[in-house]
Amino acid sequence: MEPTRHNWSCEETEAQLTEYLDGTLAASTRAQVEAHVASCARCASMIANVGALVRSLAQLEPVAEPPNLASAILEATLGPRRGKSDWRAWFGWLRPLSQPRFAYGAVSVMVTVSVISQALGIQWRAPAVADLHPANVAHVANREAHQVYARGVKLVSDLRLVYEIQTRLQPASETRQTTETPAETPAEAIPSGHTGPQHLINLIDHNFPALHQASLKFHPRQRRSFE
Amino acid sequence: MEPDPQLVQHCLQGDGLAWEKLVRLHTRRIYNICYRFTGHRHEAEDLTQEAFLRIYGGLSKFQPEQGALTTWMTSVTRNLLIDHHRRTKRDRITDSMEDAPQVETKRAPGRLPDQIALDSELSDQVQRALAKVSPELREAVILRDLQGFEYSEIQKVLGVPEGTVKSRINRGRIELAKRLEEMGLRPA
Repeated sequence: MEPTRHNWSCEETEAQLTEYLDGTLAASTRAQVEAHVASCARCASMIANVGALVRSLAQLEPVAEPPNLASAILEATLGPRRGKSDWRAWFGWLRPLSQPRFAYGAVSVMVTVSVISQALGIQWRAPAVADLHPANVAHVANREAHQVYARGVKLVSDLRLVYEIQTRLQPASETRQTTETPAETPAEAIPSGHTGPQHLINLIDHNFPALHQASLKFHPRQRRSFE
Repeated sequence: MEPDPQLVQHCLQGDGLAWEKLVRLHTRRIYNICYRFTGHRHEAEDLTQEAFLRIYGGLSKFQPEQGALTTWMTSVTRNLLIDHHRRTKRDRITDSMEDAPQVETKRAPGRLPDQIALDSELSDQVQRALAKVSPELREAVILRDLQGFEYSEIQKVLGVPEGTVKSRINRGRIELAKRLEEMGLRPA
């Protein structure tokens, strides 16, 4: 669209665009630009677009340079790094170790070492070279392994014994309950001595010979005697 | 912060730490000028290194009374870019954005991921559009709108009158806006 007022052309408007957007135009020139823009859709659109572009560009973050660029420049200008920053190069490989995952890993390794060393009988409070002798380590490890195995076996047999007792006591308890008539009042159904710990004691007393036999079956120990 | 002339003086006296400080302070800015001008990450990386080699070799030519160190360094970089442009005879850089670097997000840690993605997309599109703008208009827009230079500084860097600077910025912006519109993007 051609300019229609004040003989102000589109080209002239374009030429004033930067200062118009900067707000540095003289008042009279600004008024002429605005008068032209009010009657020229093309210039109005251009000013809106360029204004938005300038605002967007101002907000655009800089792109990140490659991580080693500064180091490469320093090496190209100063040569291989020396002096104060030399120790950083030597210990640079330690930097990744400061990450949390390495800390967790280190703690995990320490716990593992602690457990293993305890199992091997190593006394950290009073360390002795003899503790690290292969024969001693093997002996302690063997003993610990046997103890763990023995404890495991005992636990399993204890559990089986408990299970055996429960299965032997259960039928008697169930039989007693089924023989009780529904007509009985709750007070009559639970006579004194027929429930609770006393009842269990009575049952164990009653079944003692059988339980003793079961116990001997799981723990066939030699009978202790003073003889 | 140490004033630039003092920092340069220390560099000229062989103070490696002063030079390291200067390099770390300006690497990103110089890299961004090179990247926005060439549109290629690897080219920008090489050019940034070369620019610093020139700066290092020419530090004694820096005259504080004629302008800030930033302006002088940008001027050295711009001359290098012109040489590179002439050497490669490339009026229009390719619009391939395969190696577009990530937009830096550290400066705005509170921004939402969506906003970061939008910024990154805008950055790529601006780069594509810049590639279609003539080099002399492109450099004017880069210095003004992406580097935030004052007109007087751009005048020193480009070595042209202020009127010419404003005219190039004007035409560069209009051209860039048109290219972005052709790409279906209208900055909000």
